[in-house]
Amino acid sequence: MREFLTLLRPRYLAFRNNRTGKSAGNRRAQLFLMGSIGLAFWMGAFAIFYRILRYFQSVEGFGDILAYKLLSMTLLSFFALLIFSSIVTSLAKFYLSRDLILVHALPVRPAKVFLARFAESTLDSSWMVIIYSLPVLLSYGIVFRAGFFFYGAAVMALLPLCLIASALSSCVVMIVAIVLPAGRIRSVLIFLGLILFLVLIVAFRLMRPEQLVDPEAFASLLLYFKSVSTPASPLLPTTWVYDGLRTALTGEIRASLFHLSLAWSFAIAAIYLCFWTAGLCYFAGFSKAQTSPEKLFSRRPASKKKTFSLWGRLFPGAVRAFIVKEVKTFFRDQTQWPQLFLLMALIVVYVYNFSVLPLEKSPIKTIYLQNVISFLNMGLAAFVLTAVAARFVFPAVSIEGEAFWIVMSAPVSIGTFLWIKFFIYYVPLLVLAEILIVATNLLLHVTPFMMWLSATTIFLMVPGIVALGLGLGASYPDFKSENPAQAVTSFGGLLFMLCSACYIGLVVVLEAGPVYTFFMAGLRGRVLNLIQWLWFIGSFCLVLLLSVLTVVVPMRLGIRNLKER
Amino acid sequence: MIELTNLKKRYGRTLAVAGLNLSVAPGEIFGFIGPNGAGKTTTIRIMGGILAPTEGTVFIDGINMAQEPEAAKRRIGFIPDRPFLYEKLTGWEFMKFSADLYGVPEDMFYEKGAESLKMFSLWEWADGLVESYSHGMKQRLIIAAALLHDPTVIIVDEPMVGLDPMGIRMVKDLLRGQARAGKTIFMSTHSLGVAEDICDRIGVIHRGALIATGTTNDLKRTTGFKEADLEEVFLKLVEEQVPA
Repeated sequence: MREFLTLLRPRYLAFRNNRTGKSAGNRRAQLFLMGSIGLAFWMGAFAIFYRILRYFQSVEGFGDILAYKLLSMTLLSFFALLIFSSIVTSLAKFYLSRDLILVHALPVRPAKVFLARFAESTLDSSWMVIIYSLPVLLSYGIVFRAGFFFYGAAVMALLPLCLIASALSSCVVMIVAIVLPAGRIRSVLIFLGLILFLVLIVAFRLMRPEQLVDPEAFASLLLYFKSVSTPASPLLPTTWVYDGLRTALTGEIRASLFHLSLAWSFAIAAIYLCFWTAGLCYFAGFSKAQTSPEKLFSRRPASKKKTFSLWGRLFPGAVRAFIVKEVKTFFRDQTQWPQLFLLMALIVVYVYNFSVLPLEKSPIKTIYLQNVISFLNMGLAAFVLTAVAARFVFPAVSIEGEAFWIVMSAPVSIGTFLWIKFFIYYVPLLVLAEILIVATNLLLHVTPFMMWLSATTIFLMVPGIVALGLGLGASYPDFKSENPAQAVTSFGGLLFMLCSACYIGLVVVLEAGPVYTFFMAGLRGRVLNLIQWLWFIGSFCLVLLLSVLTVVVPMRLGIRNLKER
Repeated sequence: MIELTNLKKRYGRTLAVAGLNLSVAPGEIFGFIGPNGAGKTTTIRIMGGILAPTEGTVFIDGINMAQEPEAAKRRIGFIPDRPFLYEKLTGWEFMKFSADLYGVPEDMFYEKGAESLKMFSLWEWADGLVESYSHGMKQRLIIAAALLHDPTVIIVDEPMVGLDPMGIRMVKDLLRGQARAGKTIFMSTHSLGVAEDICDRIGVIHRGALIATGTTNDLKRTTGFKEADLEEVFLKLVEEQVPA
């Protein structure tokens, strides 16, 4: 036990030293902001579930069925999230962390090392899911007027779910690490990304959410829910947890304890299986992972002159150097690939959404609705862009890592470096944003004015969002992170998302009034008067000014911060 | 030529570099020695333009680093103590990256890059990703890339760390050759043998201040040793600075 605690101690000490370090005041402010945002999301989740459950209660005959179905689906989603998160975390904890070489060199039994890593992995992969499942279960408790037993059962139900997910994921990871050639462990992530992509597409297609706006289809959907109100597979851990919670909600304590016991006994068995597997193959897998990573696809040997001739003709020295470096390192990093697959999934789902909108069944006039949706779509596309930028643009400076000295010692100013990065990300994101906007507008059959307006507005907004991501990423860089992509969950990442949301909101608000006036005048065949024209032009000038400021200010902040490091 | 005037660097309350004044002439190899945490790496990073000084100036070939950093850096070949590189580039691609950054003409690069990689025994590995290189190979790649643009000033932080005996011999010969060609070389090292072996002048830094400068013989005279090696001289100099 002492060794186990000693192995976990560096983690605790790092956390404690972070709180009491030089910039503790700064950190407290960051913690406050992140805590406030987290609390807002927590309360939002509670409010949404509470509202939905109250609504379900008002649906006569189906209320409880719908509520239980929602609980079952939510638990299944949590479990899927836990499995995915556990696989990624255990891969890092067991095979990829930088401190593993030191830890394995310690005079401690491998089983103890594994136990400490397993504990860390379980905690890291499940704390957020647990925190955000609490408002859901709280809303169930309140709406169903459950007793204290339910809240205790809720805690006792979530814990085995986390342990099962972590143990099973660890087993899978250890077996994969043995089967796959050494050095390719990161390639597993590609495989996972692909699976997730397919699951997302298939799940979305099967759900057919467009049916919910069709009254006839909605009725049959209710019948469908009734028909599937029978329990899910009794072999699924989520079923035991679901049954344990459902019976706790209705006060059937004995039945609840029985189902929770099933979950706990399986959790213990899964942990035993995990440790047994670890004894068999963890160290062998770890040893394999220490060899140099092999190439997933073999490359053409550097045929020297030909390799760079195209780039050489297009760009001057420093620009060419950074573009080539950025593109090559991005595409050779196999951990980036699953993100690209997810991005593709996002685009497909996004565009598909618009292709199945049953606008003609809405009581509101179609041409009006088409153009309103098109206008709101600008904001939505900009939010999608923010999410993409948070993942790819915000960590763009941190991703230089410890090799940042190369940039600092190079005869290139920090400003030039950052602006080159800006254009590297600006071009693909602009193409992505315009594809989203134009494709969805074509599907909506909007007026030429709305098409022009959306394309122009998004053209103005992309540089702002990219500059915000890059500038704030440079203001809050983390060159020592093992996974710079995670920088998005840092204070700077949250600040970027908040600023971007404010910027998008301001642009939409500035344009909404004049666009509505212009559009309605066109629809009714009226001509705009002078004041309305001035309003129209003034609003667009403000959008332009705001967009310029959103580019210049964060970039300057980023440059200044990197210079003063 | 390197000139440091009243160079200071503070990290919060800690004074890492305490008013350094130093001049290194062309063709000279200057060795910078000192105990751990004395301020060697901080000084070197300021000279390389990686850190901004709190006070003072750095001139590289008469160019003020604070006022014209790009022009000053173009004259420097900077070799850090730890070989952090872009792991997903091949050795050859990293050489090309450096050549592009420092404005080495493309035609000249292909000949010089290949020659340089061959000299550092990396030619066979030129198409391998840097992530598959050993520590020593990475260090050699950094040195090869740093010399590609024919810098007039070479700043090296612990050049021998991670190198095998052949590599050490090669780097020593290389630095001597560069100095003979009129390059200014500023080198920090813990290896007193190396400093004694190749440096024309040695500076001892302790707690951010330069406590002695001169040739090995000058330092021996300062400490009153006649037959001692540099290690003893160094220990004596540092001990004298320890507060009672």
